[in-house]
Amino acid sequence: MEGTGRAVGVTAQAWDELLALSRDEAGERQMMERLLDLWRREHGVEAAGLYLERAGAFQQEASAGDGLPLMLDGGRADHLGSLEFPGGRLLFKRGSSPAGPEPDGAANEPLTLLLASALKSSRLKQDLKEQQFQVNYRVVELEALYDVGLAVASTLDLDRLSEEILLRAVSLLDARRGALYILEDGRYRLDRTFGGDAAPWFAGGDPELRRFLSGGGEAPAHLLPGTRYLLGVPIEVESGPRGLIAVGDKESRRGVGPFLTSDRRTLSLFANQAALALENARLHLQALEKERLEREMHLAAEIQHQILPKGAPSVPGYELTGWYRPARQVGGDYYDLFVREGGRVGLVVGDVSGKGMPAALMVSTLHSALRLLLDQNGFGPAMLERLNRHIGESSASNKFITMMLAELNPETGALQYMNAGHNPAVLLRSGGAVEELKAGGVPLGLLPAARFQSRAVTMEPGDLLCIYSDGITEASNPEDEEFGMGRLIDLLRAERDRPLADLIEAIPRAVGEFSQGLPQGDDQTLVLLRRD
Amino acid sequence: MTESLNITVDRRQGLAVIYTEGYINNQGGEEIAKAAYKLLDEGYKNILLNLAGTKIVNSIGISILIEIIEKMIEIDGKLGFCCLTPTIEKTFHIMGLAQYAPIYADEATAVGQMQP
Repeated sequence: MEGTGRAVGVTAQAWDELLALSRDEAGERQMMERLLDLWRREHGVEAAGLYLERAGAFQQEASAGDGLPLMLDGGRADHLGSLEFPGGRLLFKRGSSPAGPEPDGAANEPLTLLLASALKSSRLKQDLKEQQFQVNYRVVELEALYDVGLAVASTLDLDRLSEEILLRAVSLLDARRGALYILEDGRYRLDRTFGGDAAPWFAGGDPELRRFLSGGGEAPAHLLPGTRYLLGVPIEVESGPRGLIAVGDKESRRGVGPFLTSDRRTLSLFANQAALALENARLHLQALEKERLEREMHLAAEIQHQILPKGAPSVPGYELTGWYRPARQVGGDYYDLFVREGGRVGLVVGDVSGKGMPAALMVSTLHSALRLLLDQNGFGPAMLERLNRHIGESSASNKFITMMLAELNPETGALQYMNAGHNPAVLLRSGGAVEELKAGGVPLGLLPAARFQSRAVTMEPGDLLCIYSDGITEASNPEDEEFGMGRLIDLLRAERDRPLADLIEAIPRAVGEFSQGLPQGDDQTLVLLRRD
Repeated sequence: MTESLNITVDRRQGLAVIYTEGYINNQGGEEIAKAAYKLLDEGYKNILLNLAGTKIVNSIGISILIEIIEKMIEIDGKLGFCCLTPTIEKTFHIMGLAQYAPIYADEATAVGQMQP
C-alpha cells in the first residue's frame, strides 16, 4: 500500500471526533486510541499500539485491539509488525489475515503521520513531566538541607536527630540501605542503620575507609553487607570529623545501580548540615549532663552536710572536737561524735572509697547502719562484723570503707576501739609517749566473712587522742614529700596544751603551709579528745 | 535484607483503605500500585492511603504514587492520603501530589470526606 496524501477511509464524522478530542487535554489518550483504531481498520490488522521508548524498553502509551504487550524490552517481537517513530514506534499484530501493511508504504500515510505526531506530543509531555518531577525533587533536596539546617536550632534530641538524618539521606539518594556512624574515642561507632545490618565499628584511621570516604576507593566489604553499590561521606565540623554517613544501592524503576557523581555532592552537602545539627545536639547533651552532675553534687553535699555532726557533745571532764574539709564539693570522709545511752561517747572517722554522689550515698548508708547496729548490738566486733556484711551487700564490689571507731566511758576513761583498715589513731600520753591504735581488721565491705577485734586503752588525765584521715598525713608538698604521721605527732606534742578549738585549726594550717599552695588532694578529717 | 513494605487493605462501603508500613520505594510503590489496581478491578473508585506506618519515601516511590493518581483521574476515581509525617507531607506538596490527591490529618477526617 502506498501513501495517497489523504486519510483513506476516515469519515467526516471521525475527523470531527478527532478534532474534539485534540482540543480536550484529557482526551489525548482517547485520541490516540481512536487514531489507532482507524489505522487498524484501515490496514486490516488485529491490534495496533503506540510505544514510547524509555531506557531501551518500550512502554505502551495507547492501543486498539487486543493482544499487545504493555512493555517490550528491546522493542521487537517476532509476531508483531513495527513502524519506527522518533522516540518510539507503532507495533501491530497482523492476526489471521495474510494481508498487512508494508511498513515503508504505511509510514507516509496521513494517519500514520498523525499517530507519529501524537506519539511525539506524548513524548514531549512525558519529558516535560519528567523534567518537572526532577525540578520538584531538587526542591525536595533543598528543603531537606534547609530542614536539617533548621534542626541545628530546634532539635536537641540527638537520637531523633540521628534518625531523621539517616532517613532523609536514604530517601534523598533513592538508596535502599543506609548507616550512620558517630566518631567516639577514636573509632566510628554504628549509631543506626536502615534496611539491614552494618559493621558495628571502624577504626578512625582505617585507610580503606578513609579512601572510600574521599571517593578514591572501594567501600570496606563489611560496611553494608549485601549491597552492590555504596556511597559514603564524612560528617565533619571545623574541629574535625564527627562521623560518617553511608548509603547503599541506588534505586531506579529497573532495579539498583551505582550512585551518580551528583549524589556524592548532595550527600556531602547534607552531611555538612547534619554535622552542625549533630554537633549542636551533642554540645547540648554535654551541657545537660554537666548540669545534672552539678545538681547531683549539690544534692550529695547537702546529704553530707546533714549527716555531719553540728557540733561536739559536751562531755564533763573531757574536751572533744571534730573538723572536716572535703577536697571537692562532696567528699568521701565521714566523722561522727555522739553520746550513747548510759553516757558513753562514740567517736567515728571513716573514709569511703570514691567521690561524689555514690560516696555520699555510701556515707549515708554507713551513718544509719552504724547508729542502728550500735543500738542493737552495742560496741564490739559482732557489731562491726554485721556492719561489714551490710556495707558489702549494699555497695558496689569495688567500694569499701576504712573506719576508726571508739567508745569512751567518761567515768573511767576506758576507751574501747576498733580500727577497720584506717590510719592508726594517735594517743599522746601526758608524759609524751605515743601509742598507735591499729587493732581491728580489714576495711569494711571487702570481705563478707571478715572478723574484727576490739582493744581497750585508758585515757588518763592530760592524754590526747587524735583520729584523722589520710588527707592529713598524705598531703604532699611540691617536692612530693608527704606530711606524714611524724609531723602530725610533732605538732600534737608541740601544741598539746592549747585549747582543742585552737589545735584543730593549727593542724590543717600546718598541713597547708607544708603543701606550699598545692591544692588539697583529698578530704581532711580530724577528731580530737583530751582528758582534763 | 532490605526495608520492605507491608500492606493491609480494609474494604469498606464505597471506600477502601490501604495501610502501609515501611519504606515506599520502588518495591514498596509497586506493592501499593498492585493493591490499588486490584481494588480498581474490584470496582472501588475511592481509595485512601493511610501512611501512618511509613516514615520514608523516595523519588521512585513518589513517581509510582503519581502514576496511581493519574490512573485514578483517568477512571474518575479519587485517591486520598492521611496520617503523613510532616516530612512526607511537605514532599507530597512540593512534588504536586497534593494537587490531585487530598491530604488529611487523620483517617476519620479522610473517611468522612471521601466516603460516598
